[in-house]
Amino acid sequence: MRMPRSIHGRMLALSVVTTLIALLVSGFAIGGVLDRFVTHNVDQRLGDRLMLLGAIVRKDGTIDRALLDRMTVETAFAADAAWRIDAPGGAIGGAMLRGMVVRSDRDGTMPLGPVAPPGDRRRPPGPGGPFEALLIDGTRVHGRADIVPTDAGPVRIAVAVPRRTIDQPLRSAMLPLLATLAIVGIVLAAATLVQLRLGLRPLRTLRDRMVEIRSGRARSVPEDQPDELRPLAVELNALVRDNDAALATARASAANLAHALKTPVATLALDLSGDPRGGQVARIDATIRHHLSRARNAAVDRRAATPLAPAIDDLVAVVRALHRGSAVTVDVAVPPVVVAIDAADLDELVGNLLDNAARHARSRVAVSARRDGAMVVLEITDDGPGITAADRDRATAPGVRLDERGDGHGFGLAIARDLAGLYGGSLKLAEAPGGGLVARVALPAV
Amino acid sequence: MRILLVEDDPDLGPAIARALRAEHCAVDLIASGIDAQHLGDTERYDAAVLDLGLPDRDGTAVLRGWREGGRGLPVLILTARDGWSDKVAGFKAGADDFLTKPFRIEELTMRLRALVRRAAGHGATRLTCGPLAFESQTGVFELDGLPVRLTALEWRVLSALMLAKDAVIERLDLMERVYEGDADVDSNSLEVIIGRLRKKIGASLIETVRGRGYRLTDGTA
Repeated sequence: MRMPRSIHGRMLALSVVTTLIALLVSGFAIGGVLDRFVTHNVDQRLGDRLMLLGAIVRKDGTIDRALLDRMTVETAFAADAAWRIDAPGGAIGGAMLRGMVVRSDRDGTMPLGPVAPPGDRRRPPGPGGPFEALLIDGTRVHGRADIVPTDAGPVRIAVAVPRRTIDQPLRSAMLPLLATLAIVGIVLAAATLVQLRLGLRPLRTLRDRMVEIRSGRARSVPEDQPDELRPLAVELNALVRDNDAALATARASAANLAHALKTPVATLALDLSGDPRGGQVARIDATIRHHLSRARNAAVDRRAATPLAPAIDDLVAVVRALHRGSAVTVDVAVPPVVVAIDAADLDELVGNLLDNAARHARSRVAVSARRDGAMVVLEITDDGPGITAADRDRATAPGVRLDERGDGHGFGLAIARDLAGLYGGSLKLAEAPGGGLVARVALPAV
Repeated sequence: MRILLVEDDPDLGPAIARALRAEHCAVDLIASGIDAQHLGDTERYDAAVLDLGLPDRDGTAVLRGWREGGRGLPVLILTARDGWSDKVAGFKAGADDFLTKPFRIEELTMRLRALVRRAAGHGATRLTCGPLAFESQTGVFELDGLPVRLTALEWRVLSALMLAKDAVIERLDLMERVYEGDADVDSNSLEVIIGRLRKKIGASLIETVRGRGYRLTDGTA
């Protein structure tokens, strides 16, 4: 049998099976005790009668009829029991239940039939031993038999009552017993359900916290857990930390690769300045930038939370410094919102867009942001010449390789588009009211 | 124009130095951050070109050291670190400009000239003094609208005088802006250069202030 997939199901199935077994075992045990108790009582009564019957067997192997008559009258002896006395020569007295005749018995000794002749190897019922037998009309009886030694040989006395004398009280005792056991079973099942629900709750809570880590709302699971779950929580946190460290290493490697390649490329570019082969250097540079941005993107940390306004202020200061020669002013109106994007990636995304805007603007760049549901929408507007609708679509179309686009708007827009996409946001380009370009970035808010 | 060039790459450093010298600049090339820190603190430079990934001391730390020591020389960071976070960190450390490798040498010289001009307090790119004009972005001097051919040393002296127009430049100050750190300087050579310049642009423009230094005037002051 296959186990259910859920722990809840497994524990429930196990609990149901074990409860059923326990109920069955206790039902049988208590039933057995009751059976023995009732049978013992009947056997005692039968033993009393055996003693009475033994008293009417005389020493010479005959029965004292006068005594028997008195006894049956006084004790209503034959009203509810069958009895029989057998001498070696045949039955010498007896009364069947309502005149019925013994047909057979379980082990074939026919305790109510004639006594086996001497030398018969079949075992007679032991003195006083109980037996079960079947009467001619099918009535099952329970009885006891005894051997009385006389001068004429052993005389056997047997007395029996119908089986229902035992079964009826037994049944009336078993019914409430079974009802009680059923109630116990139902209560146990309910207790198991409650216990499972309560017992498995820490697991559900732990899973909810893991979801929070993945969505960036938490950096670790609480280690204050039940004893069984604490090692798991500790290991989970270690795993999260290892993951963070691996992310940092990957980013550092990408940056190191940049430094290692860019200086020799710069030397080549300098040596080849004015040489037509300088174009090859530009291609090398474009390739490095393309793959570096991809390496950086592969190391995206979606759990980050970065305040938007300070980052924008820093970047605007940088863009103002880089474009100090131009007469472009940058206006910033950014409310205090936090976005779920790594600080360096946010710098990269917004820096590229701001730089684009500042390079193409005639006189003014405007930066604004607002909260829109679960997202923060950042708008960077310039009053430059803008780009055509076809180029706008191309610049933000997914899957277009970065280095397939020319200089100008292309590269920075592609980086911004890819980063926004990686964090579950988007970059859309539109025409500004004055004819310039609006870059609209939606980023998940924290 | 004397530039402190801090670049540890054994190929790129000399290549930049050559290119800047071809544009008449005096260049001290340093490969060590600690040495650069010291030179920037003690010598007079018109601008510094600073690499960030230096072997002994990070360029950002060098820059921060200069700024904390009150050194205001214009600094252009020239680095392979092309992330915007690096740019933010560079400007916060006190940089005046930021250029990423690989770069066009024309862009580097243009940006350096702009830094030096702005540091001298000039907003416009074209400076004039009587018949003499200086196109600061291209480094070309014109006299009555015609370009003046100058040697590297002559250009350095004249550009320094032009940027400090109407003010006296101390003789020692001028010497420091003209000669590279390891140059073997004859104490008379500055006078020789001034003499040649006077022949090319007219004697009246460069005024000798006795006991102090020189001054560029348009002759009316």
